[in-house]
Amino acid sequence: MPKPKIKICGIQSDEEVLIMNREKPEYIGFVFAESKRKVDAKIVCDLKKALDKHIKTVGVFADQPPSEVLNIAKICNLDVIQLHGRESINDIKKIKEQYDKEIWKSIAVKEKKDLQKAFDFDQNSTILLDSFSEQAKGGTGYCFDWNAAKNFSESRNYVLAGGLTPDNIVEAIKKLQPAIVDVSSGVETGGKKDQKKVKEFIRRVRTMKTSSYFLEFGGQFVPESLMNPLKELEKQYEAYKDDQAFKDEYLYYLKEYVGRPSPLYYAKNLTRHFNGAKIYLKREDLNHTGAHKINNVIGQLLLAKKMGKKKVIAETGAGMHGVATATGASLFNMECIVYMGEEDIKRQEINVFKMRLLGATVVTVSSGSRTLKDATNEAIRSWVANAEDTFYVIGSVVGPHPYPTMVRDFQKIIGEEVKKQIAEKEGRQPDVIVACVGGGSNAMGIFYPYLDLPDTKLIGVEAAGKGIETHEHASAFAKGRVGVLHGMKTYLLQDQDGQILPAHSVSAGLDYPGTGPEHAALFASNKATYTSITDDEAIEAFYLLTKIEGIIPALESSHAIAEGGKIAATLSKDAIIVINLSGRGDKDIHTVAELERSQTNEQN
Amino acid sequence: MNRINQTFKELEKEKKTALITFVVAGDPALDTTEEIILAKIEGGADIIEMGIPFSDPLADGPVIQASASRSLKSGTTIKAIFEMARNIRKKTEIPLVFLVYYNMILQYGTKRFINECYGIIDGLIIPDLPFEEQKELIADLDQNQTALIPLIAPTSKNRIKDILENHKEHGFVYCVTTMGVTGIDVTFHKDLETYLRQVKEVSQIPVCAGFGVKDKEDVRRLSGLVDGVIIGSAIVNQIDAQGFNKESLRIFIEELKK
Ligand SMILES: Cc1ncc(COP(=O)(O)O)c(C=O)c1O
Repeated sequence: MPKPKIKICGIQSDEEVLIMNREKPEYIGFVFAESKRKVDAKIVCDLKKALDKHIKTVGVFADQPPSEVLNIAKICNLDVIQLHGRESINDIKKIKEQYDKEIWKSIAVKEKKDLQKAFDFDQNSTILLDSFSEQAKGGTGYCFDWNAAKNFSESRNYVLAGGLTPDNIVEAIKKLQPAIVDVSSGVETGGKKDQKKVKEFIRRVRTMKTSSYFLEFGGQFVPESLMNPLKELEKQYEAYKDDQAFKDEYLYYLKEYVGRPSPLYYAKNLTRHFNGAKIYLKREDLNHTGAHKINNVIGQLLLAKKMGKKKVIAETGAGMHGVATATGASLFNMECIVYMGEEDIKRQEINVFKMRLLGATVVTVSSGSRTLKDATNEAIRSWVANAEDTFYVIGSVVGPHPYPTMVRDFQKIIGEEVKKQIAEKEGRQPDVIVACVGGGSNAMGIFYPYLDLPDTKLIGVEAAGKGIETHEHASAFAKGRVGVLHGMKTYLLQDQDGQILPAHSVSAGLDYPGTGPEHAALFASNKATYTSITDDEAIEAFYLLTKIEGIIPALESSHAIAEGGKIAATLSKDAIIVINLSGRGDKDIHTVAELERSQTNEQN
Repeated sequence: MNRINQTFKELEKEKKTALITFVVAGDPALDTTEEIILAKIEGGADIIEMGIPFSDPLADGPVIQASASRSLKSGTTIKAIFEMARNIRKKTEIPLVFLVYYNMILQYGTKRFINECYGIIDGLIIPDLPFEEQKELIADLDQNQTALIPLIAPTSKNRIKDILENHKEHGFVYCVTTMGVTGIDVTFHKDLETYLRQVKEVSQIPVCAGFGVKDKEDVRRLSGLVDGVIIGSAIVNQIDAQGFNKESLRIFIEELKK
């Protein structure tokens, strides 16, 4: 989950505004309710003149008539209205109708059952949890019992307030995982904002180590031999991910070598075909090497370079990650070994040949189901043996922490681009985003920047193979249980004893019995929906897109096309849907040709 | 006192190194496992480590992978393994230790798994549960009955103290001798001696070394350094290559003990 944003509340003077400009919280609050920090519209208009334009302004009200709230909000052009009293759903509705910006509704928490009140308000208003006090409406300076709100972040994004200080903020975030933290007296000395305390508060939030868990999912379930190598990786990643030179280099290669930004293409023919929502395709298939996988590989290899590692290993299913890694290794002059299941080597022979051309060694994995799961086992085993000089480039948002977070960060450029591109084309954000889920990296990449926009529905598509009612599928959310594999706790296809079941999909890249832990958390908290598409439906979508748009999609991506089409057909023409076209289908020509041949034989 | 610690106490008096031998439960079938264990005891094994077969044994090399997969093909379940273990327990007081991947415990139900261990299984080796992830299990576990055996690797270094934090009384420490997975064609880590000495210095419980121990030669080399030696793939390989023969297994173990 992302680090929370910061709101500093109770700003009253020019000096305090200057502190804010220097320390840059995401939000500042002006209190219009009865309080020792009360200001009026005129003061706020003056203060705003000097305020950094990137900082959003929140007006805090309590039980004031909607007309008064609206009047002040309009005069001051507030970005957020925070209602801190006993306002009703109707009051909120009234305000919302006339002021289409964010509304935060505060709830005073005395005990766990108070949290129920949050569900009276729909997802459009953000909930703020604050301490309960007989005397004051908020701003009490005390913490409420955090245990009461322990799992609240699973049900919605919320603002945490009440007694936060530089000393307790890290613990609070770890325990409660709020989306925004709100502080006032905790960063004051003598009733005035104290620059040192503000700075320290913000520093502690922003330099917090990324948690190894997404809710209860994730973790580091690996042999002890890998723990120090993982800690080292984590340390280096934390250091470089916010390093401007590192980011610039990453973006340089994505632009000049990979060919980003990838287009967001309005698929007119596909839209007409389904006769519903407007369908846009995010063209990751146009990236160098033909899929989204290269985004992540460039990031990880640059990190490997910084860490002085000259040898890299990777696992691959469809071979797209293997080809991307082999490509990057050739670009950065590294030795590369790719582990690939025997089954996948057969169905993706073009990619195997490409990897060898690029100078990589492809190791055949013949254990277990001989697919991606087993290739991953073998890559991890090899890493255990060689961790001292080898970097393991994982190809999806799976594996032990920090991989799921790191891979997502290297893929989130997909969603960030979509956000900009769709705003330019449509002047608004999409209603639905659809992506296929193997391990889940292309989906996480396009979903992540949308996690704080609840109006955009996120839909992940797993492979239903021959049908989720059969034993031959790869739908971990539909049919799996929470367990541990490949270093992470997540949803897995497994039998009663916990033996991992072989997955099946016509597309090698979705042929995986689990999903990344962040998807597990999105699933468990209903922040994304997961469906599945059968082999036959995917193949049909493969032909359809090829015939009517002249785009041959990867079989993995064909799953997203199929689901996207189904959804589009149910939506009105002014709805917008974005489908992540994660890769191109060149690698699958062989598989489809085989299918055609066997069908012709059957008919004869 | 836990059977493991009882055993080490007795061995210490005789100034002997413990021999811990491994077998995958159910390879080729569960009744053979019982015979294998009894033969090992006759040969002089001090502690029996029994692997619960898992479909994806991340920390194991080809020999034990193959053994686990033979066991699963024969239909081995955890339930049946517990039953066999209860049977063995009726016949012997030798310490029994499970090697079990964490998912198997989770799916069986942690509390239920632990409860079935009590009185029968004296220790748990969980190769994919580093100390950071142990909290949940330890909260439920009475280590006096069933000890969680901590694993230490040559790369653990600064982590050794933290790893041993929850292990000051029961069981033993399992020091992995190689960078890598279990197997017979692996070599000990280059800094093996220094590393084992370092663990011996801080550990308050017996220190044992395993992974890649092939023969008498290896056992002798380690004996001077640690309190016990764990031998796995080499035995699995012996049984697999020659077929299970009680007499030859007994002799194989006897030889190692010399
Ligand atoms: C084109 C394409 N799409 C999707 C995937 C699935 O991976 P993920 O779920 O990590 O995006 C793969 C994996 O090989 C792929 O090659």
